[in-house]
Amino acid sequence: MMRLIAFLLLIAVPILGVYTFVNAQEHNWWFPPAYSTFAPDIDWLFNFIMYMVAFTFIVTEVALAWFVWQYSAKRNDKGVFTHGSHKLEMIWTAIPAVALLVIAFTQMETFAKIKFASGFPTDGPYTREKPIAEVWASQFDWRFRYPGDDGVLGTVDDLESSFEFVVPVGVNVVFHLRARDVIHSWFVPEFRLKQDALPGHTIPVWFQATKEGSYDLVCAELCGWGHYKMAGRVRVVSAQEFDAYMAELKAKWFSNGKE
Amino acid sequence: MRIRTRSCVLAGLALWGAGCQLDFAPEPAAPVVHYALGPATTAVDEAGDPVVPLHVQEHIAGSLGMLFGTPSSPRYLLTEEWVDEGFDPNWPTAAADDQGSGEFSEDELARIKADNERDFRRELAAIEAGDFDAVRIPSWMPDLEQSWRDLLAGKPAEQRDDAFKGEAKALFVDYYPTLRESAEHFRQQCVHCHGVEGGGDGPTARFLNPRPRDYRPGIFKFTAQADKSVPRRADLYTILDEGVTGTAMPSFRRLSKAELHGLVDYVRLLSIRGMVERDLVTTYLSDDALPAEAVLESYASIWSKWKGADEKKTKYDGDVPAPSPESIERGRTLFMDAATGNCFSCHGEQGRGNGASAFTTSPETGEVVPAYKDDWGNVIIPRNLRQGIFRGGRRPIDIYYRIKNGINGTPMPAAVSSMTDADIWALVHYVGSLSSQPRTRAHRSAGHAPHDATDPQQSSPGQTSSGH
Repeated sequence: MMRLIAFLLLIAVPILGVYTFVNAQEHNWWFPPAYSTFAPDIDWLFNFIMYMVAFTFIVTEVALAWFVWQYSAKRNDKGVFTHGSHKLEMIWTAIPAVALLVIAFTQMETFAKIKFASGFPTDGPYTREKPIAEVWASQFDWRFRYPGDDGVLGTVDDLESSFEFVVPVGVNVVFHLRARDVIHSWFVPEFRLKQDALPGHTIPVWFQATKEGSYDLVCAELCGWGHYKMAGRVRVVSAQEFDAYMAELKAKWFSNGKE
Repeated sequence: MRIRTRSCVLAGLALWGAGCQLDFAPEPAAPVVHYALGPATTAVDEAGDPVVPLHVQEHIAGSLGMLFGTPSSPRYLLTEEWVDEGFDPNWPTAAADDQGSGEFSEDELARIKADNERDFRRELAAIEAGDFDAVRIPSWMPDLEQSWRDLLAGKPAEQRDDAFKGEAKALFVDYYPTLRESAEHFRQQCVHCHGVEGGGDGPTARFLNPRPRDYRPGIFKFTAQADKSVPRRADLYTILDEGVTGTAMPSFRRLSKAELHGLVDYVRLLSIRGMVERDLVTTYLSDDALPAEAVLESYASIWSKWKGADEKKTKYDGDVPAPSPESIERGRTLFMDAATGNCFSCHGEQGRGNGASAFTTSPETGEVVPAYKDDWGNVIIPRNLRQGIFRGGRRPIDIYYRIKNGINGTPMPAAVSSMTDADIWALVHYVGSLSSQPRTRAHRSAGHAPHDATDPQQSSPGQTSSGH
């Protein structure tokens, strides 16, 4: 009886696990939609690793349940002494090692495209040297500093906005990520883009949004007691709307305070 | 072994069953919480006796409760004059002839409604689809929820036609929070720093530098107001909308416009309440009595300051001039001129916030320590103008306001009357130029901007004091 209960409990783990994942998308438990050019690559990598892990998980769980069933104390009251198997140990060391190497080599190209200097866009209006804006993270908000008319960041005609980062759709957007006080992390789930912001460092980050809309920007590094409320928004707009927004920001910036 | 395993399984099943069956007893009704009295009222003298006798403190607490209600049900007491002139500060949106103070322009009301359409888009879509049960109302909107329930109760499900849908949508599009709802919202978003009474003494306040604003004295630093006047609604709204750079006050733009305006209403109530409280203490200490007329008089006079705040706004009609080398040079001259700008005496000759007069030598330890405190009693050092962090905003007009009006509650004075607008703009340009560090690759690899390289003085205040 106990053998059956233990077997059923153990076999329920892979069955319920697989069931949860199969049903996740229907219940909206899965990722938000992917709205950047490299987001499908990230999702592909995620799925690749997940299927690999899922396969191993199911095999080991089923094996575990089978061993519990097959070698219960009641049926095998006498143990067998063994020194182990050198061959078996070689196999279960080599297979994970190969699997890890496969993962490492598979993701390298995508990682390089997103994070390496060589992967950054060189054509188009924004480059590593000429970013669309500086993104400042501080306890506990996000601020965005656009270069203004002279196209140079850090000068008096820079325009600043808080909370909302407006960028054009379908264009490679490069920004410089900076932190004022402690480590923060830029995370926009829809873009599958996460990057730590370090005080004292200027970190270039790029993405290309594929769909207009407003997306949550959150801090993904526990940065203090107000971390939970460190929210921002990335608004992706058409090129015309972006120009109109910059004009509006400029008018607000050089306003004479009349209402 | 077998028995132990079985009992473990059984115990687990029993626990799970109990978890399913357990019905938690309802919480007892919360007692009525009142606003606490401020430090001015509860102060004690050297002997430990209250400066204001306890029965007078009771009287003040009762008067304030009558005028402003409680944290769970805040409201303004309407005076006879207000009823006569149809002014109701409890309801700032409605026009003056329709019960309400009518503090918003038509444009702003239209913007609030447009933002409500965005904020309540799911609710509006559910109403449009006829799925009334899918409408979810946030927990901080009990009055909206009540109106919504009343609306549903007044119309059986089969009679809900398009006209009803229109009425239901209007409830959300025209939404403006009551003071009770804004107080609840304040407790969810603001109270942990700013405290129940707005005293800047919430539980997280002690982790912060600078400290959160204490609203009770009615002093707000970053406004467009002249003569240290109380702020306008627009000043408070800007702070909520933009946040305060360099402090723990973030932008709250993720809330809707109606919610932000509601929070402004409530901050104003807390501030007026604190000002009235201080005024009552002052009146009692000078007259040794506190009759009901004096309470109402204080209430009316402090309200009139807030009502008249618009007249104190600094107006500048011209264009914002662009900086030129000449204007920056002129600004530098004014910055260094002891008779006009005199900025260097606090902000330092390099604008590093290390001027000689802002620091003093401690007689006990001989160390150089900040010389000034602000009106809230916190140590204050002048802004380092080279960092480009300006709490009241980095826009030219913001810096213009700071220089022209000074910063209320701090040692930063208003510009002397001999300064013209052109002088102030020259100073704005010079101050802006101090934090201008073009971020090119050459500068980054050098590690710092060129004017730092030739700057002999670093940020230690002790070094500069010898320079004057």
